[in-house]
Amino acid sequence: MTSLDDYVATSPEIERPVAEAEPSRYSLRHPKSRIGFLRPKVWLPLVVMLVVLGALWEWGARSMPYLLPKLSSIGEALADEPDYYLRNAWVTLWEALLGLGLGFASAFVLAVLVSEHAWARRAIMPVAVVLNVTPLVAIAPVLVVAFGFGPEPKLIVTGLICFFPILINTSVGLRAVPPEVVQVYRTLKASRLEMLWRIRVPSSLPYLFAALRIVFPLSIVGAVVAELSAPGAAAGLGTAISLASTMNRLPVVFASIAMLAVMGSVLLLIVTIAERRVLHWHETTRGAAG
Amino acid sequence: MRTAAIEVRGARRVYGFGASAMVALDDVDLSIQPGRFVSVIGPSGCGKSTLLRLVAGLEPADRGEVGIHGVSPEEACAAKMVGLVPQTPALLPWLSVLKNVTLPQKVNRAAARRRAAIGEAADRVAPPEPPDMAELLRKAGLAEAAHKLPSELSGGMQQRTAIVRAFGLQPEVLLMDEPFSALDEFTRESLQEQLLDLWDELKTTVLFVTHSVSEAVRLSDAIVVMAAKPGRITDVVNVDLPRPRGRDLLKTPEFHQLEDLIRDKLRGAWHTRVA
Repeated sequence: MTSLDDYVATSPEIERPVAEAEPSRYSLRHPKSRIGFLRPKVWLPLVVMLVVLGALWEWGARSMPYLLPKLSSIGEALADEPDYYLRNAWVTLWEALLGLGLGFASAFVLAVLVSEHAWARRAIMPVAVVLNVTPLVAIAPVLVVAFGFGPEPKLIVTGLICFFPILINTSVGLRAVPPEVVQVYRTLKASRLEMLWRIRVPSSLPYLFAALRIVFPLSIVGAVVAELSAPGAAAGLGTAISLASTMNRLPVVFASIAMLAVMGSVLLLIVTIAERRVLHWHETTRGAAG
Repeated sequence: MRTAAIEVRGARRVYGFGASAMVALDDVDLSIQPGRFVSVIGPSGCGKSTLLRLVAGLEPADRGEVGIHGVSPEEACAAKMVGLVPQTPALLPWLSVLKNVTLPQKVNRAAARRRAAIGEAADRVAPPEPPDMAELLRKAGLAEAAHKLPSELSGGMQQRTAIVRAFGLQPEVLLMDEPFSALDEFTRESLQEQLLDLWDELKTTVLFVTHSVSEAVRLSDAIVVMAAKPGRITDVVNVDLPRPRGRDLLKTPEFHQLEDLIRDKLRGAWHTRVA
């Protein structure tokens, strides 16, 4: 009889190193991507693009001074009153993230319900779809009338805008467990809760992160839309924009817009980093930088 | 007489309704004594996988009875007496190999008590303590892989992990649904060998669905030959080749005779279908 240990030494798959079988996937990722940033081939196209856009902007600003401020005057506006922008940015960010949190919590709970029960799916999904196709810009003023100029309408609009992508992706993800896996754990009579927590929720994470990459920047859109619908109230970059545009202070308008763009980019970066960490086992994050 | 490990009586399973109804299993009887390795072979559509799913409690029989050590498949599963190795490894991609094979011990923790109760009623020894999974992985030649993710392993190693996961339960009944069909011939033969070694140690009852004649002959104590339309058992062939069955056995005339016999039976089953 062949003993197990003899067997190990002669086994064809063990002799072959795994890295050799799949070279492009895993081992080479990090060193390559770090060096990559230093090569002109990588950074030059973006720099050229930025220079061209900057030149076009300056040309536009010189020929149409009432529509477009110079980049330098936007910079000055930011440098003159950094506190003003940071304070308003903080308000908007807070609204965006809190609204996102509310939208996330309710969407996740409903996604679990919808993926576990067919009746819940039939009851909830049509309503969610109608809500999704309704333009939120149209809802925002109504909410301001109902809830006043406080933070409530902003949180509701942001929550609503984030709600649908999370609901859809998570409910698809929770059901995307391969049937063989379900069969194995069904023959073990794993409880519904064990299946959900140990198998369905982790399986849904790639789908959930795809949604988060959409809704993190979108949460800022929601907060700004709500602020624009309720001008004259409180603070926030949206409020700053509408105030400045009524006074025709173009550099302030664009400085605020620049702040929003930076905030959105930072949020997206944070999600991407978190995704790399959490989903290190998943193909999408493995192949991405390779 | 001892209680059979797997007992199927007059099982019938029909998919669909009316004119489009397909009889997957028609009046199937099968009784397997504890500790036996039994293969089920037959053309596609003969209901061999359906039979396995009935025993696993994944589908109900429309008529007839299925028992595992005298209890229903549901009760046996609730007591974690049934191990399943599906066609794909079905590993969880975010867990290391070691965590994948230990997860079955963490779910349904009430199973041990249920299993002891069934054991007493059936006058059988109580189930042993859960095994050391790291040790079991080592025995299967997966010591190096224990902390790797499934995607870092070859297909053969993944399927071996799935087999270790099932053996780790020390199940009374191990159900395997064409577990090696996606592997190349070479890997397949070495996995058969490892399966026999593990089985030799843990002596559990195995129901093994396959479409490979030589695989069935090499592994089994008995081979159940099935035919399609309607799905039914046409023959049960005992394989009394000596164990352990190393690679040398594959070249012997006795082995080839048995292979030929099974092929003839399969052809016979095919012709009755056409006639």
